[in-house]
Amino acid sequence: MPYSEYWNPKNETLSREQLQALQLNKLRRLCAWAYSNSPFHRRRFDAAGFRPEQLQTLDDLRRIPFMTREEWMDSQAEKPMFGDLLSTDPTRAIRYHLTSGTSGRTPLRVLDGMKDWDWIAEMWCYGFWGFGVRPEDVVYFAFGYGSFIGFWGAHYCCEKIGALVIPGGSQTTEGRVTQIAEMGVTTVCSTPTYAMRLWQQAQQMGIDLANKSRVNKVILSGEPSGSIPAVKRQLEEAWGAKCGDTAGMTEIGTIMIFECSHQPGGTHIIEDHFIEEVVNPETGEPAPYGELGERVVTSFGRGFIPLIRYRSKDMVVKIPHDSCGCGRTGDIYDGGIRGRWDDMKLIRGTNVYPRAVELIVREHEVIEEFQVYIWRKDNLQDEITIKVELKPGQETDWEQLEKKMAAELAGAHEGLRFNIERVDHGNLPRFELKAKRLVDDRPKAEYSRNPDSPNQ
Amino acid sequence: MIQTDLLGAPLTEPEKKILQLYQTLKELTARKDLPPCASCNLRKALASLWQVTNDLNLQFEQLYDLGV
Repeated sequence: MPYSEYWNPKNETLSREQLQALQLNKLRRLCAWAYSNSPFHRRRFDAAGFRPEQLQTLDDLRRIPFMTREEWMDSQAEKPMFGDLLSTDPTRAIRYHLTSGTSGRTPLRVLDGMKDWDWIAEMWCYGFWGFGVRPEDVVYFAFGYGSFIGFWGAHYCCEKIGALVIPGGSQTTEGRVTQIAEMGVTTVCSTPTYAMRLWQQAQQMGIDLANKSRVNKVILSGEPSGSIPAVKRQLEEAWGAKCGDTAGMTEIGTIMIFECSHQPGGTHIIEDHFIEEVVNPETGEPAPYGELGERVVTSFGRGFIPLIRYRSKDMVVKIPHDSCGCGRTGDIYDGGIRGRWDDMKLIRGTNVYPRAVELIVREHEVIEEFQVYIWRKDNLQDEITIKVELKPGQETDWEQLEKKMAAELAGAHEGLRFNIERVDHGNLPRFELKAKRLVDDRPKAEYSRNPDSPNQ
Repeated sequence: MIQTDLLGAPLTEPEKKILQLYQTLKELTARKDLPPCASCNLRKALASLWQVTNDLNLQFEQLYDLGV
């Protein structure tokens, strides 16, 4: 009997009306649970005058106050280690993880109970199965298996599916490429940045991944560039494989969106397990289909640390489910996660988002690596420089490329002047997990501590 | 015995059996007289069956009191 296309055919093809009825049913139960068991939520619900029994329709969701990372961090600072978000005794947890801290903020500490941890893998199953992973696959995780949650859930998802799992663990990129080739790996999981790094390493080793390996799927996560067309196109050509995007967050422990095998240019929302709202980041009002907004997530998965109307700061554009022909009724984030509202940099009065820069830079396939370097000239004027490394042997048309890219970047940023600087091959940093391609070297406002002050 | 899912749809025969199995596992997991090899593996099995029953809209509840 052939495999089902869907991990959960019952819910992945529910009508929108039924899907919303299911969400309302779960939302009532989740809020009742959180109100009764989580001091954090009880305090916030009381302050907002909200009671779970007020949830009569899904629109009543808006009665619930937004939850922010800052509130959660404050709670953990006031009541170390986990704050008062927990809804049950921490000794019942079986797993501890941390947020990545990529953006320089204090990492959040999260705990999971046994069924929550299994649910985390379950969500990855929606995505991996949806992209075509089957029991016959050999799945390689280019992942360090540390405290950052990363691909942990995806690892257990593949065990659950029955695929052969190869944990890459801590080793050299060369060692990983060797394993991928030797073990007949069919599916590689990594960040987009590292997928390219693996391919580059394979080239240096004389291994033709596109034609000589069995890899036919590359599953991406951890960076917004997994849905940038130029990035995906380059990776698909390099690996000779389909590339699919997924996105999640440590705060929910898993993915909430995935690209199906039909590759609609976006990612389906797993709507039987999440409510994903898109709001105007300034007003908090709902953003309609097709409008850029901030995603706000309510997760039905983790009862241990309930996440209800959590402001993610991710930038998304939601479009209807039927934009994809796969038959899933979960709506789609067109272009996946488009960056973060708090990634925005202000350069001489113009907003610059790193993903928007990458969107342009990656269209130039001769570029191997780049860095967005922001600095202050003569302590007066902010400057933005794109440092570029070319692929070996691609240096001849540099002047033309420099002019073209500067014009394209200026055109996309209200005429803002970008400096383009070529650096020697191998000089820019390479990344395994989330890439940090933005360096803001402008002086930061600091206050000086006076050691004699009685308040210090 | 529950006859419908969370959306009010009648349970199929396999769904009835799955739900019955889930209830049985909950009862067994709550027992205090089982050896570790039984109680620990039953908890793990219950965590798996929670996914099935949750995915199929047969229940949506928390099991932390059972250590799951």
